Amino acid sequence: MAERMVIVAFSGSPDKMFSMATLCSGAIAQDMEVDIYLMTWGVHAFRRDIAKTDQPYSEHDELRQTVEENAAKLNLSPWYEMLEDLKELGELRIHACSTSPKLHGVGLEDLLDIVDDVVGAVEIISAAQTADVHFYI
Amino acid sequence: MTPEELQALSVDKTVDARGTSCPGPLLAAKRGMPQVPMNGIMEVLSSDEGTKRDIPLWCKKIGHEYLGDREADGDFIIYVRRMK
Repeated sequence: MAERMVIVAFSGSPDKMFSMATLCSGAIAQDMEVDIYLMTWGVHAFRRDIAKTDQPYSEHDELRQTVEENAAKLNLSPWYEMLEDLKELGELRIHACSTSPKLHGVGLEDLLDIVDDVVGAVEIISAAQTADVHFYI
Repeated sequence: MTPEELQALSVDKTVDARGTSCPGPLLAAKRGMPQVPMNGIMEVLSSDEGTKRDIPLWCKKIGHEYLGDREADGDFIIYVRRMK
């Protein structure tokens, strides 16, 4: 049975999303299954009308331009493209907490296609209970 | 294996991930491995220093044999034998 990593993504700023995608890359490379559970600002980040727009960093937003220029030099893809690639490469599932989209007045159809479904809190806790690696972002 | 022994290996697949940063080289290695024959050797070219540490851990986890690494012109070349 494959090892599994669970990430609860409460935050949604691009700097944190990029770090999350990097962790997912390491797990998928090792043939681990990955489940991301989006809550509150995590859901906001995955909105179609938000994800690919300029959004502030959670820390040191004044350095955003420098970081993004260096990321481009390093051929790093945007976080949502990294996740798209990883879904093709391995078992990566992305779930939205059922309440969070409602907080933003949106539904599953308003989120990026890489978001698979909407789940409840019990499923999130159950998944975390049985996973091998956990992150809260 | 010594750098000289590594350089003398007959390589079945070269993955050139130079110019990409972590996790690019590791994912490139994962993508490339299915194209390596069983017991064949893949070399991964990387300019990212983290790859030198990630590939041995990846091999241990997946079950491939990490043969070693060497430096060439400021880049790293990591050698892996496909075992499964």
